[in-house]
Amino acid sequence: MSVTVGSELAAQGGQSRMIAGAEDQILVTGANGFIGSWVVRSLLARGFRRIRCLTRASSGSNLDRVRAESDGSAVEVFQGNLLSPEACVKAARGAAVVYHLAAGVEKSFPGCFLNSAVTTRNLLDAVTVAGTVRRFVNVSSLAVYSNAKVRRGGIIDETCAIDAHLVERSDPYAYGKAKQDEIVREYGLVQGLRYVIVRPGVTFGPGKAKIPGRVGMDTFGVFLHLGLGNVMPLTYVENCAEAIVLSGLTPGIEGQELNIVDDDLPRSRDFLRRYKRAVRRFMTVPVPYPVFYLFSATWEKYSNWSGGQLPPVFNRKTCEAYYKGHVFSNQKAKALLGWQPRVGMNEALDKFCAYARDHMVGA
Amino acid sequence: MIRVAIVGCGKMADQHASQIRKIRSATLVAACDAEPLMARQIAERFDIPAWFTDVDEMLASAHPDVVHVTTPPQSHLEIGRKCLEAGASAYIEKPFTLNTADAVELIDLAQRKGVKLTAGHNAQFTHVMLEMRRLVADGFLGGQAVHMQSLYCYELGDPAYAKAMLGDPDHWARKLPGSLLQNIMSHGVARIAEFMKGDQIVVLAHGFSSPFLRAIGQGDIIDELRLIVRDENATTAYFTFSSQISPSVHQFQVHGPKRTVVVDDDHQVLLRLDNREYKSYLRFFVPPAVVARQYVGNLARNVRRFAKRDFHMPNDAGLLTLIASFYRSVADSAPLPIPYREILLTSRIMDAAFGQLSKHADVS
Repeated sequence: MSVTVGSELAAQGGQSRMIAGAEDQILVTGANGFIGSWVVRSLLARGFRRIRCLTRASSGSNLDRVRAESDGSAVEVFQGNLLSPEACVKAARGAAVVYHLAAGVEKSFPGCFLNSAVTTRNLLDAVTVAGTVRRFVNVSSLAVYSNAKVRRGGIIDETCAIDAHLVERSDPYAYGKAKQDEIVREYGLVQGLRYVIVRPGVTFGPGKAKIPGRVGMDTFGVFLHLGLGNVMPLTYVENCAEAIVLSGLTPGIEGQELNIVDDDLPRSRDFLRRYKRAVRRFMTVPVPYPVFYLFSATWEKYSNWSGGQLPPVFNRKTCEAYYKGHVFSNQKAKALLGWQPRVGMNEALDKFCAYARDHMVGA
Repeated sequence: MIRVAIVGCGKMADQHASQIRKIRSATLVAACDAEPLMARQIAERFDIPAWFTDVDEMLASAHPDVVHVTTPPQSHLEIGRKCLEAGASAYIEKPFTLNTADAVELIDLAQRKGVKLTAGHNAQFTHVMLEMRRLVADGFLGGQAVHMQSLYCYELGDPAYAKAMLGDPDHWARKLPGSLLQNIMSHGVARIAEFMKGDQIVVLAHGFSSPFLRAIGQGDIIDELRLIVRDENATTAYFTFSSQISPSVHQFQVHGPKRTVVVDDDHQVLLRLDNREYKSYLRFFVPPAVVARQYVGNLARNVRRFAKRDFHMPNDAGLLTLIASFYRSVADSAPLPIPYREILLTSRIMDAAFGQLSKHADVS
């Protein structure tokens, strides 16, 4: 893996117009995560020399790899927990730009809320104390949008409403992210926080071998193909990281909310066909949307009737949110950030499949 | 209508609130957490009319009849004391307190104030545990329990997960006197305490850190524990806690002078073992058929319950039963679901075990 050197990127013209330069202190939370480690790579590639990485553990495989690829001196690993206000204050000290990628990915609502919303509030308090932060980049998710009023095939973009029924959707991750976004907006209003909210779609690439849930699910021993002809809101991790980094550096975009998906998005069946051809073959059962909707509605009804004897993991709102079928726009991100996905979809899918083949997991 | 409040709005609080909602005679009136965002989120999701960040303020404003304390155990004594002083009964999650002295203090206070207490030993109230209790009460064992075996396992998951979970030295569970063990083992110990009728308890403890934990650099945590317990009536028990046994089972056997009951909590199976003698080779043919018939009976009962929407996951079902029983005790003076003696004996056995483990910290 190669990291483009700072001078190379500076030569590409970006650095001078940005709100932070190579010597500014950058803070990245969740830096050991799938996207976070690529954000650090992207910052290194832009020549940043003071990147503080807040991680829970003192070492982690993703970040260790990034450090090994570079000379390591530009990356400071700061071990701490965002649930500790003191750790947040220390981490945010002197930061010019904060990339906040840490998130709760637990199965429970309080767990996700605690590790998304409460941690974000702690970090924002620390940012307020620091008083040096020029941009706070809050990494959210495309999953927070409601598509209830968007017809099948309609467009999901930044004008869509945020889903107010994420509890009924039984989606703790999206709930945590939506609450996190609310807190960021509140700090923007009340504290004058200069922020950008970034909402990546389904991030994929080397490091994550599993087939995205929007394609389908492996349940009862069979892979149910639910996505069928739906367009997948994919973003290759390297492209996504680049957009996130630009969101922290591009001037004049305070308060903007940007969706990140790549160009040439594949349909679910094309993705699955390619995966099967390149990685492994397995049995799939295509499930048309109306059938899965009916199944979800029945499951939901039974769950309610039985007092939760079966948890409401399948329900109409989840079915709608993930499998109704839409198209996705990245026009706003392109226009405001000047961002273009550098890795094309074909190449990205090849890289993903190669990784998945080497790290075979269940569908 | 019983007015209910929850203090501590983390994961356990969600489980409690979900079950409380099913009890028609109860209503959630307040949520409280030192972290305002946590208090607000549970109030929003469960339509709880008021949320607080201060327990005293909550008690004074919401006037709950029962408070569920689902905070980390280090705060159970202080919060429990406040609730009882305010005239509210309290359901305190396990482990009930950090030690027996604290448990005695709370129980004494509850009795002085004329309010009630229970501990979060919901695993005592799963379907099969209730059935086992009925059998024993009906004299199935043929006398007092002679010996018990309680096997309680805990899955640490893969090394990465275990490292992430246990790697934080500041986590409240790591700071308990009995560390990880104390947070989990009371379910298995309470089963022994229930049938141990004597007061003079002898506990022999042997604990060590599993090779798995040592391999991931967590060798200071004891995750393998073996206890031998005996009272003055010569009732004995073995308790096993393990993170390494596979499958990760939760079983209880109570042996009487005439018969034995075996509870498999993971599969909600209960077996009655008789002491009937069979001639010659029949002993190899008839008892297996009898046991097979019992398994089919268990299957039929579980299916029947499921069809009647009365099954639910065992710990959820146990939680609902325990909460509902406790509310009946509070409202109608019904007997406490868990006698205070059982809560205290559970605590004493655990204290004795941790005391021995701390003296022999290098047992690994």
